[in-house]
Amino acid sequence: MQQLFTTLLTGLTLGMVYAAFALALVLIWRATRIVNFAQAPMAMLTTYVALVLIEAGYSYWLGFAAALLSGLVLGALVERFVIRYVDPRSEINPVILTLGLFIVLHALAALVFGARYRSFPAPFGLRGFQVGDTTIALTGFGIFTILSVLAVVVLLVLLFRYTDVGLKMRASAFNQEVARLLGVRVGRMLTLGWALAAVVGSLSGLLIAGGGLVHPSFMDGVVVYGFVAAVLGGLDSPVGAVAGGLILGLSLSLVSGYVGSQLVSLAALAILMAVLLVRPGGLFARVRERRV
Amino acid sequence: MRRWSRSAVVVTAMVATGALLASCGAGGEREEAPAEGSTVGITEDTVTIGGHFPLTGVAAAGYSEIPTGHKAYYDYVNANGGVHGRNIEFVVRDDAYNPTNTSQVTNELVLDDEIFAMVSGLGTPTHGAVVDFLNDEKVPDLFVSSGSLQWGDKPKERPFTFGWQPDYEIEGKILGDYVKKNMPDAKVGLFLQDDDFGRDAEKGVRRFLDDQIVDVQRYTSGNTDVAPQIAALQASGADLVLGFTTPSYTALSQLVALRLRYQPKWFYSNVGSDPALVGSLLAQFSEGAVKGGAQLLDGVMTTEYIPGTDAPEDPWMRLWQKVWDAHGDGEELTNYRVYGMSQAYTFVQALQAAGPNPTREGIVEAVERAGGDFEGPALAPFRFSSDSHMGVSGMQLVELKGGVGEELTPVLVSDIGDAPIDEDDSAASDSPPENGIPDQETVE
Repeated sequence: MQQLFTTLLTGLTLGMVYAAFALALVLIWRATRIVNFAQAPMAMLTTYVALVLIEAGYSYWLGFAAALLSGLVLGALVERFVIRYVDPRSEINPVILTLGLFIVLHALAALVFGARYRSFPAPFGLRGFQVGDTTIALTGFGIFTILSVLAVVVLLVLLFRYTDVGLKMRASAFNQEVARLLGVRVGRMLTLGWALAAVVGSLSGLLIAGGGLVHPSFMDGVVVYGFVAAVLGGLDSPVGAVAGGLILGLSLSLVSGYVGSQLVSLAALAILMAVLLVRPGGLFARVRERRV
Repeated sequence: MRRWSRSAVVVTAMVATGALLASCGAGGEREEAPAEGSTVGITEDTVTIGGHFPLTGVAAAGYSEIPTGHKAYYDYVNANGGVHGRNIEFVVRDDAYNPTNTSQVTNELVLDDEIFAMVSGLGTPTHGAVVDFLNDEKVPDLFVSSGSLQWGDKPKERPFTFGWQPDYEIEGKILGDYVKKNMPDAKVGLFLQDDDFGRDAEKGVRRFLDDQIVDVQRYTSGNTDVAPQIAALQASGADLVLGFTTPSYTALSQLVALRLRYQPKWFYSNVGSDPALVGSLLAQFSEGAVKGGAQLLDGVMTTEYIPGTDAPEDPWMRLWQKVWDAHGDGEELTNYRVYGMSQAYTFVQALQAAGPNPTREGIVEAVERAGGDFEGPALAPFRFSSDSHMGVSGMQLVELKGGVGEELTPVLVSDIGDAPIDEDDSAASDSPPENGIPDQETVE
């Protein structure tokens, strides 16, 4: 019983990190219709920024803020100076470009920060809570993870549904030409979309790094599972991304604990295929409704 | 058209015959001089050797320092006249612990750099990808940096490959024997890397502890979430966990145990127990619970088979410190660099034993005939002979306290299979020669 409880709680925390990463992918998808595979190394870089500051003696929260801020800048720069120059009519070119960025940023991080494992502190305790004789495998940092991801979802839903900027971002993603005719400054919206997505990505990097080990490829597993989570949720819906992340986190944790850790990535593939066979658009897709 | 094709046939036939003759000639030449052997990589004044190591990627922590130890010791030997007047040149290539890369960089080492021998190529999955290639090409494959059995248990199939460190099976056996005798009531859980490392060790442990084992959990290298595995060990009630893990996973399992408030007695294989490295990985977490990183490993059992940085007064450690101060890269001397220098010492012995005119075949024969008597830093002798290419034959169990290993047992030696476990400290008293360079006689 205790084991099941522990496994589920671990899955929940992990699922929230996947969700955060999936949210970043969804954001860029909604803003520019590109799947950004470079999201993982971008988040890795900003996590290192936080680590450098923390190791230099500044407080955890200063590092945290600096990472989010550098995420914002990095996202905007990548969009404005790299992605902008790819032909948006082709679907495959931007994807290949983000994969290329993936490799470049990786190598850059190894050069600048070194390739060795480094530990990343957490702002809250790393011991589980104790209730009576049972230990609950949820740490202060785990609760922080869950709450911050939920907060991000709420903010995103508010942004897209109730603000002008959100509407403009959606419009420019949906049809650039029409949006431009209606007076939306499409370029700015795209940059903003990338910047926001990189902030959310940076957050997921900080969350998975906290109380763990950091090295240039520490986000690589997350990019795979985060992508699966985003596709599960339909790539278009923030709520779907969170649901996808949770489904994936919980089921992978159960597979790892009760079947065998070597089957984890296989299980992720099986879940993805099962969902896509039943609902090709993802669990929360609204494409079909639009067509009607 | 027909005429053209007829002449084409003639030309083809002539070319084929010529090629056949040429190849016969080549074969004839080789047969004429079998005793000479291959001298690829050897010149009047240099010996070029190579190795593959993870300088980047998941396994780079610690392991990337091993080749720096090698280089420092070779530089030291070169500065003192080299081996039979030849300088040793060590070419290091990065495979990022990825077997696909290992194949590629090994091709480069053998075919482009034309190395005389592969020395201390690191990793079970990585080196496993190239071991047959090296044997097919008849490249000496000396002192693999891995404790897998496959480097030494079948010397007939892989005549050019030699292990170096104690294999995982005898580590499992020596540990299992100790637990059986001293902790007969312990409920034992195994936490294993899901490859040869874990499998060989489990084989050794089960010889003694089969009925004491309550749970076995395996992790896949690369998947950093080990919470489900540790939770299962906790649920099984194991109060002694034997971990055969790499350093990063030692740290990860300790972090998860902290989260679950799981406090069994821990053992970690010498592969993953370096207190300095694991401690540095854990040191950051002092804000939460862990005070000093190394202290978190207090009470953890592990094994030792060469003197390490926790014994700075050991004569071997004084030699390594001297070498490192003179030829190191200015960084701190770590156990991984000591490991590299210890391996380099063995290679220098092998090269000396191969004589003033070393050949690839000659050095293999020299290690088979003289290797069992090499005196070096290892606490137990090598098992090298024509029947076994296994490395160091034993180790001692220690318990960590403040990053220093305190002896639990004398040096115990054994071999794979059902060979007995015996006390043997004959090699532990070997002390380094005055000038720090071995003086191995040529094998006639």
